[in-house]
Amino acid sequence: MKTIRNLTRRKLRTGLTVTGITVGIWALVVFGSMGNKISTLVDGGSQYYADKVVVSQSSLYSTTAAPLSISAVAQLRAIAGVAAVNPEITMMMDDGPQSGSMVMPAMILGYTPGADQGYDHFKTLIAQGRELTAADEGSKVVVLGSDLALKYRKVPGQTMAIRGETFTVVGIREPTLTAPDTCAVVPLSEAQKLYFKTLPSIVRANIQAQEVVTSVVVYPKAGAAPADVAAAIKQTLPELTTMTGADFDKQIGGSVGMLNSILIGIGLISLVVGGLSVINTMAMSVAERTREIGIKRAIGASRGRVLRELVIEAALIGFAGGLIGLALGALVVTLANDAGRSSGTVLFLLTPNTALTAVTFSTILGAIAGFVPALHAARLDPVSALRYE
Amino acid sequence: MPLLEARNLRKTYRLGRRNTVEALRGVNVTIEPGEMVAIMGPSGSGKSTLMHILGLLHAPDPNHGPAPELTFDGQDIGRLSDGQRTKLRARRMGFVFQDFNLIPTLTAIENVMLACDYSGRTGKAARAAALEALDLVGLSHRAGHRSTELSGGEQQRVAIARALVNQPALVLADEPTGNLDSARSGEILGLLRRLNQENGQTFILVTHDPEVAEACDRVINVRDGLVAHERKIAGRESEDELAA
Repeated sequence: MKTIRNLTRRKLRTGLTVTGITVGIWALVVFGSMGNKISTLVDGGSQYYADKVVVSQSSLYSTTAAPLSISAVAQLRAIAGVAAVNPEITMMMDDGPQSGSMVMPAMILGYTPGADQGYDHFKTLIAQGRELTAADEGSKVVVLGSDLALKYRKVPGQTMAIRGETFTVVGIREPTLTAPDTCAVVPLSEAQKLYFKTLPSIVRANIQAQEVVTSVVVYPKAGAAPADVAAAIKQTLPELTTMTGADFDKQIGGSVGMLNSILIGIGLISLVVGGLSVINTMAMSVAERTREIGIKRAIGASRGRVLRELVIEAALIGFAGGLIGLALGALVVTLANDAGRSSGTVLFLLTPNTALTAVTFSTILGAIAGFVPALHAARLDPVSALRYE
Repeated sequence: MPLLEARNLRKTYRLGRRNTVEALRGVNVTIEPGEMVAIMGPSGSGKSTLMHILGLLHAPDPNHGPAPELTFDGQDIGRLSDGQRTKLRARRMGFVFQDFNLIPTLTAIENVMLACDYSGRTGKAARAAALEALDLVGLSHRAGHRSTELSGGEQQRVAIARALVNQPALVLADEPTGNLDSARSGEILGLLRRLNQENGQTFILVTHDPEVAEACDRVINVRDGLVAHERKIAGRESEDELAA
């Protein structure tokens, strides 16, 4: 109570300092939420790749892969340690500048349900309608990820155009907060037709639609290490690229870690500025209250007591700034996600952990920033402090 | 046994590199329990420095000439640490200042309770003690007012309540009537005298007002950092006896 009264003595100054912390925490919350979203995506990828080797023709970084002849599938199946193979088509849902999320573009995935023979452990749940089955082969049906369903406002039973073809929505996935949210899953043969249309005519002249795939998911047998299987694949089919869970973690995880550090760094810089303004505020506050500190010391307040009162005051500034920053950050994150969802751009994920860290951090920051001025106050000579005008 | 005994008090302040002030140059003072003593002297005589040392706000210089001795209630307090002196100030001493020195953001009762808090008493006990102390100075009806809402005389009475709330053995007052008109001044002086007589508390008043000095039992005159002379106020003892 008394602390709050002290803080409200200089409302403008306290307010400005709190605002400084608020901006810092706001930045930390927003950037932290962005980092969370990216981390979740990467974790999802990491889980997806954990039990398989994804074989493709092209480099890892191109999402629309060069075609891979279906003839490779039989060769892959014959390699020692391979339990099941699932040829896939993955391609962009739209051409040109990305209309999808900055984080994950809208993708079409075509595969044959059940081809993994139960080896795939990456499961997603269906929110409405049903999952795709092997019996859907040959019909134009689609299961939408949650973000796509929101973006196109579709429910099962409705139809939608995908690359010029009309598909019937049969199911919508539960949100996973990761890649499947922006994925439209169709039967392999339909995806092959869509993909075939995008190929240059010179390629089309020499190949049938049902002969192309973009990647093959290879499931190692129980006990066979994905890395060993990947090595065997490279030996047999050196023109192909393989990606295992370890590769994914190394390549994507590393760069995401860097991006996260940059985002958190931006937030921290704004907090250092906020911290400096707490030091300034508390130093001025101590100077203004020199006489009062002298009175308190004279009538028996210990140095520790003076120190504690001022540090608590500074911590309270940090706490208030943290709370307001968190509230504003949460507001921005929610509004941005709501606005972005209609276009499929879900950029942020605010976790309780981020929220708690932000407020704890700002409180501790306030206390640390207040410590030096408080120490100065505690060391004042009571007699000269009493004479201070 | 005297309440406070000081021998060979010296204090030199260093104002600049070559500019030092010898505020006290070897002062001996004895204060008996229950006494009300005035320390008088012109500005710069060292009377404030003497009060600061007697009130444990400063320590005497340890090594200029004969070693200083300072005992309070039989305890050697010449070489206490800052923490120990602070604790003694909080529990055994009360302070009244010329410009009242209340904390402006706190109400009257909160100001008084602050002294309780520093002596280790909090909560209901502190509130009750603070109310009692305010009652003693006749201000219990103003307990909830902030110092800015009180007159000078009232503020000084709150300050006196704050000084008395822990029932200290010694109350030190630095020009307690210096900022008050003569009517309020007389009131405060009468209050201090009454508290001294009723509670048997020892008072040291630093003043340059002869009227204040005349209200005390004894006057110590300080000049140029030394005790120039001491005198008892005539008739005081008999008056005390009458009051008793």
